[in-house]
Amino acid sequence: MPSHNKDESIYNLIPQEKVIPPKPPRYESKFKETAKDELKNVKQDHRTMGYAKEPVPKPTDYLKAHQKEFKLPEPQTTGRINEKIRPPVPDPVKDRPLLGIKTNKNFISQNAVDTIMAVPKKPEKNLVDTRKGDKFPLDPSGLAPVYVKKKNFGSVPTYIIERKEETVRAKAEYEAYMEEYFKKGALRTMTDDERESILQGLKKNWDELHHAFQSLSVVIDTIPKKMRKEKLEQDMKALEKDIDLLQRHQFIYIAD
Amino acid sequence: MSNVETLELQSAIGFEGKVPNGLRIHPDRMHMIYAIGCNLVIENLQTRKQEFLIGHNNNVSCIAVSKSGRFIASGQVTYMGFKADIIIWDFASRQLYARLVLHKVKVQDLAFSPNDAYLFSLGGQDDGSVVVWNVATKESICGSQAQHKSSGITYCLAASRNNDNLFFTAGNNTLRIWELDLPNRKIRPLDVNLGQTKRIVKTISSSDTEDVFFCGSTTGDILQIGYQGQFKAIGPEKNKFSLGVTALQCLKNGDILAGSGDGKVFLLAPLTFKPKKTAECDAEVTSLALRGDGHMFFVGTAKSQIYKIQLSEWKQELLNTCHNSVINDIAFPFGTSELFATCSFEDIRVWHSASSQELLRIKVPNKTCTSIVFSRDGTSIISGWDDGKIRAFYPESGKLMYVINDAHQRGVTSLAITSDCRRIISGGGEGQVRVWNIRPDSQTLEATMKEHKNAVVQIKINKSDSECLSASLDGTCIIWDLKRFKRSQVLFANTLFQCIAYHPEEFHILTGGSDRKIAYWESYDGAQIRELEASKSGTINGLDIDATGEVESVGFGHGGEVKKVKICPNNRVIVSVGDDGSILRWRLSSA
Repeated sequence: MPSHNKDESIYNLIPQEKVIPPKPPRYESKFKETAKDELKNVKQDHRTMGYAKEPVPKPTDYLKAHQKEFKLPEPQTTGRINEKIRPPVPDPVKDRPLLGIKTNKNFISQNAVDTIMAVPKKPEKNLVDTRKGDKFPLDPSGLAPVYVKKKNFGSVPTYIIERKEETVRAKAEYEAYMEEYFKKGALRTMTDDERESILQGLKKNWDELHHAFQSLSVVIDTIPKKMRKEKLEQDMKALEKDIDLLQRHQFIYIAD
Repeated sequence: MSNVETLELQSAIGFEGKVPNGLRIHPDRMHMIYAIGCNLVIENLQTRKQEFLIGHNNNVSCIAVSKSGRFIASGQVTYMGFKADIIIWDFASRQLYARLVLHKVKVQDLAFSPNDAYLFSLGGQDDGSVVVWNVATKESICGSQAQHKSSGITYCLAASRNNDNLFFTAGNNTLRIWELDLPNRKIRPLDVNLGQTKRIVKTISSSDTEDVFFCGSTTGDILQIGYQGQFKAIGPEKNKFSLGVTALQCLKNGDILAGSGDGKVFLLAPLTFKPKKTAECDAEVTSLALRGDGHMFFVGTAKSQIYKIQLSEWKQELLNTCHNSVINDIAFPFGTSELFATCSFEDIRVWHSASSQELLRIKVPNKTCTSIVFSRDGTSIISGWDDGKIRAFYPESGKLMYVINDAHQRGVTSLAITSDCRRIISGGGEGQVRVWNIRPDSQTLEATMKEHKNAVVQIKINKSDSECLSASLDGTCIIWDLKRFKRSQVLFANTLFQCIAYHPEEFHILTGGSDRKIAYWESYDGAQIRELEASKSGTINGLDIDATGEVESVGFGHGGEVKKVKICPNNRVIVSVGDDGSILRWRLSSA
């Protein structure tokens, strides 16, 4: 039997209203008063306006000799310069400066010549638009015709020309490529010998058929005879057509 | 008893979960309406303040709220051969608007027409009729038999969504669409042809958006029927809802909420009736009530629980629980009225009186607690059970402290504890009164007193712990001497004693029993002093006496039997418990 159960009581079940404990008083530093006093005591009086009546110095603080003179502050010794990195003292023999060098240049004549030869300065281009002579530079104003005077004014810009040339070149290249491509897989031209032999063969066949046709009986009375005649006629016609085709065209292409 | 005051009902703990659709939400979205016994309770959902509509003389069997929210109608059950009332309440004034009496024995279901013009009512199995009432004139227009003679009982009724003259009834093998012909004062039924399907419809709900209504069957499927009697759909095809569809509600977007007999709530897709979402409750879902358009809904179960579910988040919250079977006993801890304990089948609950909140629940499965007492020092709850054991529990954790096995042969029926908490006196079903010595680590039988021939129903100990009273169903009450463990007096009467009490001065004894009389007895020699007829109708089950010993008022509220009454220790409130599992608190007017 757990021991905590022994403390149970039905009266603990009665819901208790929760008592909200009052808030603890706000924290106040125990040094607050000291800080206050300190501030009050340290505060220097008459800082802004000065004394209403300047107090007289005490007899012990009498004016001493040179008291009012300006004194330089004591020189501050840094003592931080490292002895090792200090540059060496110049050598009296080696590092002796060159002495006695003198120029022969005649500065007076030289200046006179320079001035005579100088190109005169161009006058400033200014625009004056008021009576009082208020002026402003003409060039950035946009009033002087600048772009019309340009060399390439009105001409087609080079980039457009270049682009056009580029397209033309690309087109030509493409056409050349296509031609090449077609040539590769293109139709074969029938050679003359081949053509001739085919033609001869056809003619020979035609001759044979013609001979058979000529030797047909005069009276065509039965169906087989009629059929044979029609067949021969048809074959001859086909051969004539082929011969005609071969004879009529100079070049004959063969698709393999 | 001629000019008795009526007791004012202060609060009630309970919910009649077995009433189909017994939980409703008023259209103002602020109030929940349900039944406890024969009262209707209007509870504010936010402040949880309860108001009572008292008017029925027996258990409420159905509730309807009109669409506008102006009226509430409730029907009741009554005894065989009597007429059952329907009461229309005016919601605004919380007053009775009309009492309509026509149905016999039970009002099965009620529905208002959409514009509050008519009230449709359906009688129970022994009545079997449908009646249309004019709400304005408070009179019946016409009635008819609810079903063919060949078909079974009609269980439910619903009104159409927009037509005042149209309503639907359904039940065992019957599904009818009724049309009211007002000039001829007739209602004409149209039987819906269901073809081969045969169903027992237990719940019906008409859609708010379409001209259709839905019927939930005991088979576990839902039927969709058009207003012209077209049988449109039945589903789901597979996985039917187990133990039947017991509650239905249509939502605005066409979805359907369904509750099943195994305690599940489903959100169903239209037409296919396939579940989209599922929530689980503890027991059969008997009512589904939408708040407003259904963004939130409440589920009432047969085990008297109320759940709140948010539709969008599908979040479930248990709102209310209470006893759902007979409450056998009440006990107050000594000297405080703030707490009391009740006991019932399977559980003991400790309640906070002011807020009606449950503070502790002790469960012992499948056993019934018949009596309960607090020890005087408040360190234990001692209870007697029908399995013949006395169990003591720690009062805060609810853990078992000790068990006295086989305390009685036929169940412990009554208990009392002495003021020094050293002895328990118990009475059993076989009629023995036993005295137990209680020490921290052992409980021993001190004496057995065998005189009664039937169950001991109540035991009272006097203030000085020197003697005790026991009342038995054999028609005797015995005053026992607790020093010698012998009978000192016996009271005989031709009644089954149900309750007994000492007068505060302890020279009188009061008894109540099945003869409906309260008898006063001399405790010194057991002579009867006088008798009062206390009840006009039934057995006196409970009796308690306050410190001054003066009582006189009557309260109406419990549906069934009042099992016990107790006056709280500070004499302000009477607590009574009923066999329907409800706990009512009454303001004691003399205080």
